[in-house]
Amino acid sequence: MRAVAIGKAELKLFWRNRTALFNSLLLPLLLAPVLYSVDADGVPLVVGLVGFALLMAVYYNLVTTFVARREELVLKRLRVGELTDPEILAGAALPSVVVALGQMVLYSAVVGVITGVALPARPWFILLGVLGGTAVFVLLAAASSAFTRTVEMAQVTSLPVLMACMLGSGLVFPLSVLPSGLATVLQYLPLTPVLELLRAGWADGPVLKPVSVLAVWIVLGTYAVRQWFRWDPRR
Amino acid sequence: MTAIEVRGLTRRYSGGFEAVRGVSFEVEKGEMFALLGTNGAGKTSTVEVVEGLSRPAEGSVRVLGHDPFAERSLVRPRMGVMLQEGGFPPDLTVAEAARMWAGTLTSPRPVDEALALVDLAHRASVRVKQLSGGERRRLDLALALLGKPEVLFLDEPTTGLDPESRRNTWELIRALLREGVTVLLTTHYLEEAQALADRLAIMHRGRIVAQGTVSEVVDAYPSRISFTPPSGVALPVVADVESSGRVTVRTNELQSTLHELLVWAAHNNVELSGLDARSASLEEAFLAIAEEAA
Repeated sequence: MRAVAIGKAELKLFWRNRTALFNSLLLPLLLAPVLYSVDADGVPLVVGLVGFALLMAVYYNLVTTFVARREELVLKRLRVGELTDPEILAGAALPSVVVALGQMVLYSAVVGVITGVALPARPWFILLGVLGGTAVFVLLAAASSAFTRTVEMAQVTSLPVLMACMLGSGLVFPLSVLPSGLATVLQYLPLTPVLELLRAGWADGPVLKPVSVLAVWIVLGTYAVRQWFRWDPRR
Repeated sequence: MTAIEVRGLTRRYSGGFEAVRGVSFEVEKGEMFALLGTNGAGKTSTVEVVEGLSRPAEGSVRVLGHDPFAERSLVRPRMGVMLQEGGFPPDLTVAEAARMWAGTLTSPRPVDEALALVDLAHRASVRVKQLSGGERRRLDLALALLGKPEVLFLDEPTTGLDPESRRNTWELIRALLREGVTVLLTTHYLEEAQALADRLAIMHRGRIVAQGTVSEVVDAYPSRISFTPPSGVALPVVADVESSGRVTVRTNELQSTLHELLVWAAHNNVELSGLDARSASLEEAFLAIAEEAA
């Protein structure tokens, strides 16, 4: 895999970037003890934390990374080499994805130990949700970077996706408090099917619908990236 | 064998601006072809299409017999590109940046060898952000050479280099040409094109306005003889007189005109002080072309 060469370099850069390091490694570690005070049901908590990792460690981190590499003219340089466009994006995304997966394992282990969550009955749905969710948020990050002029602006341009996903997936409050029409619409946001799949993996729940919604988001995300992704800085 | 073939290339940007208008040229294998032009003439816009970064709006491009945009995977392993502005992550070291690039290539040369070629081996463990502009340029060249390319694209390769580094880079490019590498160069250093290029084209406002070997392009422009004659003598040739009293003779037959002038001076016992005789340089041709076209 030629993209791994990019991934390795990105991992070094990640290691040398204190802000990213703090956000991705220290913050979760600080969060972990807080979880000890939680005596709620473990499954929604794990599901919520996995969703949070997808939004922050994958989506937000990657909007920043893609914009930074574009503005440094690194993407432009990589594009005159042998790698294909998807390989370049995958390589740049690799460390963020690895970190996010690490966070998810950490959260699940900690919460599992505290609340005694049973092992998932249908782990492949969890796998499907995590992998599909990662793909969707990598694509959405690439698409969002097209509308982001500078690394600093990423804090603003990533807000719509972050807010919509957090509110719309029931991470912050249960969707049942909303009017049913609105709740139905929100179910089609990109994070919702991921969380539905996770819940289905632990307990019971519908599978076909979230898988279809996720697939549609992957198609939409791919289209958006092909259409709008910028390899050159804006002038 | 033709390495690069460009026919009727037109490039249009999204605003409708035509940066390149019907450009055609060919580069033979093992040859260096230089694209010259004023800033904004369309050199980089042309080269980017030849590199396969963009599809031409009209016309066609072939590199080693393939369409560089549609058949990118066939062409890229055989070419090396030094962009006018290419970047590296500032927090990687020189060696790390080169290793990253080598990891993406089919058959890279050793990283140490590539860095040594551009005289950067001693800076291998320095972060990219600490390099000078000239060193960054040389790192860019090292990466372009890492894949042992058959066709090399150099967009302003010596901008920002000190005179010694520039000479070294020229020597390196000459060695590559001797090995049979084909080079497409853009530069605004005319002496660089004059020193290295087998053939060249001068672009102005998106079009090629002159094309050929250096001497073919230059021969269309007159040679000059200039000197300061003693006052009060009538010259045997037509000359422009400057306010300083110095005169310039323009001629298409430098040798015979100069001979005529020297014989006349000897006969009349006249001294031509500050005598200077020279063929037209690429610079003169270039300036004349830019002026004509303006």
